[in-house]
Amino acid sequence: MKKNQWMLAGASLLLAGSLAACSSNNNATTEAEGGSDKPAEQTKLVYWSIDRHDSDFIEQKISEYEGLNPGVDIEFKVMADNYAQSVDIAFSSKQAPDILRVDTGNVPTWVKKGYLESFDEYITPEMKSRFENVLINEKNTIDGKIYTLPNIGQFWRLIYNVDLFEKAGIAAPPTTLAEMVEDAKKITAAGKDIGAYGLAGNFKSGSGFERIAHPITTLSKTVGTEGFNFQTGQFDFGMYKETLEALRQIVEDGSMMPGSESLDIDPLRAQFAQGKIGMYFNHSVEPSVYKTQFPTDIRWAAALPPTVDGKQNGASQVISGSYLAMSKDSGQKEAAWKFIEWMYSDEVQTAYQEGGYGVSVIPSVAAAAKAPDIPGIEYFLPTKFDGIYPATPFGATEGRLEGTKKMDVFNRYIFTGGDLDKEIQDLNTRYNAALEKAKAAGDTTIEAQPDFSAANLQGSLVSE
Amino acid sequence: MNGTKRQINAWTFVAPSLILTLIFGVYPVFWALKYMFYDYQGFGTPLFVGLDNFERLLRDKDFWKSVVNTFIYAGGKLVITIPLSFVLAVVLNRALKGRQLLRAIYFMPTVISASVMAIVFYVIFNSYNGMVNQLLMGAGIVSAPIDWLGAKHALVTAIIIAIWGAVGNYMLLFIAGLQNIPEDLYEAASLDGAGPLRKMWSITVPMLGPVLQMIIMLAITVSLKGYESIMVLTEGGPYGKTEVMYLYLYKLFFPVSSGGSSIQQFGYGSAVGFTTAVIVGLITLIYFYVSKKLNDIY
Repeated sequence: MKKNQWMLAGASLLLAGSLAACSSNNNATTEAEGGSDKPAEQTKLVYWSIDRHDSDFIEQKISEYEGLNPGVDIEFKVMADNYAQSVDIAFSSKQAPDILRVDTGNVPTWVKKGYLESFDEYITPEMKSRFENVLINEKNTIDGKIYTLPNIGQFWRLIYNVDLFEKAGIAAPPTTLAEMVEDAKKITAAGKDIGAYGLAGNFKSGSGFERIAHPITTLSKTVGTEGFNFQTGQFDFGMYKETLEALRQIVEDGSMMPGSESLDIDPLRAQFAQGKIGMYFNHSVEPSVYKTQFPTDIRWAAALPPTVDGKQNGASQVISGSYLAMSKDSGQKEAAWKFIEWMYSDEVQTAYQEGGYGVSVIPSVAAAAKAPDIPGIEYFLPTKFDGIYPATPFGATEGRLEGTKKMDVFNRYIFTGGDLDKEIQDLNTRYNAALEKAKAAGDTTIEAQPDFSAANLQGSLVSE
Repeated sequence: MNGTKRQINAWTFVAPSLILTLIFGVYPVFWALKYMFYDYQGFGTPLFVGLDNFERLLRDKDFWKSVVNTFIYAGGKLVITIPLSFVLAVVLNRALKGRQLLRAIYFMPTVISASVMAIVFYVIFNSYNGMVNQLLMGAGIVSAPIDWLGAKHALVTAIIIAIWGAVGNYMLLFIAGLQNIPEDLYEAASLDGAGPLRKMWSITVPMLGPVLQMIIMLAITVSLKGYESIMVLTEGGPYGKTEVMYLYLYKLFFPVSSGGSSIQQFGYGSAVGFTTAVIVGLITLIYFYVSKKLNDIY
């Protein structure tokens, strides 16, 4: 009895101990085991990414780098689910990776949390000059210090089913919102026999509305993006009014795909691949999606987003600004930086674009890299109407917002109607009040830029 | 074995779980009790704001809407799940051929993760090619697809999924209770000429009193706290129609949807967490008070 009790107690402690043992020592210079061909000491680096789509390429490049630098061993982990939470836990438990993928929206927060090491001490003047045109406050620099640099950008387009357009007797993709509404109606009427609809959006996600509205609004207008007017330094959601009215009309016409309210992007793509959707909006990842994830027989194409009145006054927003960052807690900063520097090299980034993993925004790469061998990618290559916008205080503001978020207000209007002017007025009041709070708390330093005009972004990513 | 040794043995057994409970159960509660009076987003110096977070909570229509949604969700789930699992338990407690297999089938949803369950139901209920709509349209019951996950029906769909996931679990608890009722009570009742309904009402239900009290209490607390499948199914949408208390709370600590802010609101989240715990606690207490009679019967 006594023996059994102690055995049980021992087993309990062993279990508890094994929980604690589920951690690894990252920042270690480890000795290789005897008999190995590897050198006696290796610098071990841990690299986390959120991206699954390019993991084969990254692993291949890591092997290449390890071959060039036999003293370096890089452990690569894709943490696709709950990435931000995983990073928080890793830093609070002193198990942070040395190198980590970062989204632009997380850069200010992670810098404030003390996660990121500035590149300033490591970056050479030559490398800095390659990125001069794409350094953006609160996207990759904070208080003038560089914490990450961009590699690729999301170039947004209207994606359409050519077969359905022809069936509906439409010769070309819409260039105005009125045409988009009309085309959606015609496609729905012509596609009744196969259950096809004019337009779809993945409105389950908070980004569903934005995927449609941001490309249209930024290409149509000159004042800003994400509801933020750079000229006044205030939120003005009136910039979305025409787009919202057009989407509402499409719902009223019965041309919006049923179920769009709760649609995710992958089911939407699956339906598009089956020829059930006339038009939707998304970015430059789509060609590789239809090559690998949802191979399709339909004829599809993509075009610049339509605008309010057919005039391209601004620049279609390119989402870009960040890629790799270095952990402030890393004990191997020099080694980590050498790897980061190599990953940003023209050689690696050119291979990245040519491999079809994304469209580069690094001017030296964009000039040298060929288009990847992926059908449809040609529609997403940079044009003079694409541009990277300055950072807005949208994220910091929503962190202080009281009441319903704009995505819920707009989705409700699109699907059920209501007094749009009143809704916009209420959103402006609440978001600007939250902006003041965010500024007072030091969450953002973004101020008005009275001289801003999105027209000036035209041509910034390509030479004429 | 002397007293000291016995004490050491006892503490050795208790210590691992006690330590884990203190770290992962008790410490976060005290942490939240502190930060509900602070403005804190997870970085920088927390700023003491007194009752500001609670004032904001009183003004927060979205939170109170989530409380109403929670009551509808929990109420709908309970009203159907408890009687259904009771009936199933009574049927599957009889000498029925294949009852073990049927019990296993009904219990299976309990061992499937809520997230996986929600993904499967998303496929079944989606309006464009979901199986439910195809069956209904094939049978001529509806002429156009129903948007099961749209604003009108999403909460009902979430309740249906919750019922499917819970019935087997409560059925098993009822069966355990039924098997504790002495058979001679039924035999005596039969000799006195009691029919099946009479036996059910006068023996089964009263004898199950304490078990029923526990099952309903479990069902209430689990239903009020449930959010996992809703998070996967609709993320609380469309536009808040399926937002329940604990999903609202979760999003303040761990923002889930792209397109929104990724900034955590620990201070306000702690105030919401405290309030939701008070709401669930109060309902449980009221239930205990109201259901005292169930325990008094036997």
